Amino acid sequence: MAKEAEYAIEVEKLTKRYGELLAVDDISFNVRKGEVFALLGPNGAGKTTTVEIIDTIRTPTSGKASILGMDVTKRKHEIVPRIGVLPQGFSSFDRITVRETIQYFSRLFCCRKTDVDGLIELVNLTDKAQEQYKNLSGGLMQRLGIAIALVNDPEVLFLDEPSTGLDPRARREVWKLLLGLKNKGKTVFLTTHYMEEAEFLADTVAIISKGKIIAMGSPDALIESNANYLVLTLKPVDEKAIEIVRTMGFEPVHDNHEDIKVRVEHMDDVQKILNTIKDGGALLLSLDVRKPNLEEVFLKLTGEALRKNPAGGVAE
Amino acid sequence: MNPRIVVANLIVSIKSFYRARSTLFFMIAFPIILILVFGALFMKQDNMSFDLCVQDLDHTDSSAQLVKTLDIDGRFNVIKIDPAINATQYTKDNKLNLVLMIPKGYEGSFMQRMALHNPDASVTLTYLYDPSSIFVSMKMQILNSVFAGINQKMSGKPPFIRSAETSILAKKYRFIDFFVPGIIAMSVMTLSLFGTVNLNTELRQKGVIRKLSTTPITRTDWILSNILYQFILAVISTMAMLLVSYAVFRINLHIDAWLPLFIVLDVFAFVGIGMILTRFAKDAESAAAAANAISFPMMFLSGSFFPLEMMPGFMQTVARILPLYYVNEGLRASMVFNDHMAALRYSAIIGVFAAVVFILGIIATNWEEGQ
Ligand SMILES: Nc1ncnc2c1ncn2[C@@H]1O[C@H](COP(=O)(O)OP(=O)(O)O)[C@@H](O)[C@H]1O
Ligand SMILES: [Mg+2]
Repeated sequence: MAKEAEYAIEVEKLTKRYGELLAVDDISFNVRKGEVFALLGPNGAGKTTTVEIIDTIRTPTSGKASILGMDVTKRKHEIVPRIGVLPQGFSSFDRITVRETIQYFSRLFCCRKTDVDGLIELVNLTDKAQEQYKNLSGGLMQRLGIAIALVNDPEVLFLDEPSTGLDPRARREVWKLLLGLKNKGKTVFLTTHYMEEAEFLADTVAIISKGKIIAMGSPDALIESNANYLVLTLKPVDEKAIEIVRTMGFEPVHDNHEDIKVRVEHMDDVQKILNTIKDGGALLLSLDVRKPNLEEVFLKLTGEALRKNPAGGVAE
Repeated sequence: MNPRIVVANLIVSIKSFYRARSTLFFMIAFPIILILVFGALFMKQDNMSFDLCVQDLDHTDSSAQLVKTLDIDGRFNVIKIDPAINATQYTKDNKLNLVLMIPKGYEGSFMQRMALHNPDASVTLTYLYDPSSIFVSMKMQILNSVFAGINQKMSGKPPFIRSAETSILAKKYRFIDFFVPGIIAMSVMTLSLFGTVNLNTELRQKGVIRKLSTTPITRTDWILSNILYQFILAVISTMAMLLVSYAVFRINLHIDAWLPLFIVLDVFAFVGIGMILTRFAKDAESAAAAANAISFPMMFLSGSFFPLEMMPGFMQTVARILPLYYVNEGLRASMVFNDHMAALRYSAIIGVFAAVVFILGIIATNWEEGQ
């Protein structure tokens, strides 16, 4: 028997080309056993390509990936029973009920005894067990997708954008479920373009942009090392306050609403700005000071927003 | 191959099908409605005699006698056309599909043969017909058999190949008996082709195929269970068609081992084509469009709706390159004529075709997205 690897997933110099397009560009990283690893990046960054190479759906152009010490291109048959996968945008058979769907997928892993009802309970679908898939809401569909990924009690779980397209409440339900899995010690590899999701769930975040991993570490460490400042958000009554901030030498940036954001080094600067605005006779409706988040880390590293707003120009 | 996985897959397919009432209706009921509608139309034709226009240019007692024979036979309702008018123009103007012309000199030749025993005396009757009409060749075949009977009688000797002659004449030429095997072939084709294309594109789009590639199910299990599923649907559909046609029209068809064999070959051929289409079509719409582009001409040009003899010559040539033609003709050979040799010939051709496209389909079925 080969010795059990230390890492659940090892990726080395992985590259994938689609014709001219370099979708994944020479990336390397390791995922420890029992951790939640999030691949964070905007649409088209190469998240799906990366995760689908690792979970044996696609093949790499070059480089190497292994799960539990097994090369993904050579030992698919041994890997498959030990992993669980929720592909991006997965939806199941429309007219098959929750219970039947879980039963079907567990039959595909035929030698295992799956506790179907236990799984239904785990993903909190007991009331909907006899409901056909097409009648479920988006959040319930995703939770069923996760249940399906768990039918073989996998050691490593791959979830490609598990909460995309869900409303905030449904998303939170999914997060709760994933947190539960994390506490059970499952290794989870997840991709997302929601920085809150990565921040909330992940032990390690790898930020991917244009096929390259541009930063990696725990959410705290990433913020610490890349965004060592405070974010002051102001809601001014009129342009006057903005003018004052600008003359002080700061760079106010308009948020999507009427808010403006100012990047400051210390708490002292916040005090100074507020005093100057007050002395200048300008009024504020609200204000907020907080530490930066992964969104800002991404912005700083790439100069692009993680989620492009419609006015944000053409994608790519 | 893992039988448990195949069965699990089959159960999901059958449940999905059963719960989708609208597809259930279209797939099973549509061919039955076709049979009922066309059958009702043809039934009228069966009960009533055909109209037959006759232009008697000879205008003698003998020719009148011949016309009477046709009338008495009960299969034709003879309509006489004035010998003075131009028959071709008249046929066109009145949209007639067949006019029988008895030439001048009919009686002369008849007398030569009967009284003077001149073996060279003969007469040529002209069929003036519209090849696009589906009734023409039926009428012509009936006329031919009547004339064959007259010729035989005039020879004064008992028929030599008696059994063959009586079997053709004794079997009432029922259109519905031709129609039902064609509709069986056609609906098994559409079930298999569209079933495969829809299932594959839908599951690909849903990400189910990607999901399946991370489970122990193999492509072989998957394809096998689809084939089984399509075969079960085809059998259900065929049984429904046969039951309804028997109950309503008392069809007279031989049902033997050829029927399931042709269904199997039909299923393999069109599941294979479906798999090839899914592989090369970019999305569900273009795959469905391609399936339509294949099945639609096949339906009309391969003689599913009516025997091919009724079609103009070049269309018969076209039909011979269409795989469905061999299923149509094979089923008719076995079900209508009970002709095992012909059925064997047709099954060999469609069998080779089915094997080739099915293997290509397996090769084309690729579970990896991109290369
Ligand atoms: N099968 C494919 N064929 C060609 N190009 C592809 C294919 N899949 C993805 N791409 C391209 O590769 C890039 C990365 O895509 P993807 O891995 O899906 O990114 P993400 O999951 O981060 O949104 C995109 O530009 C996408 O258009
Ligand atoms: Mg993606």
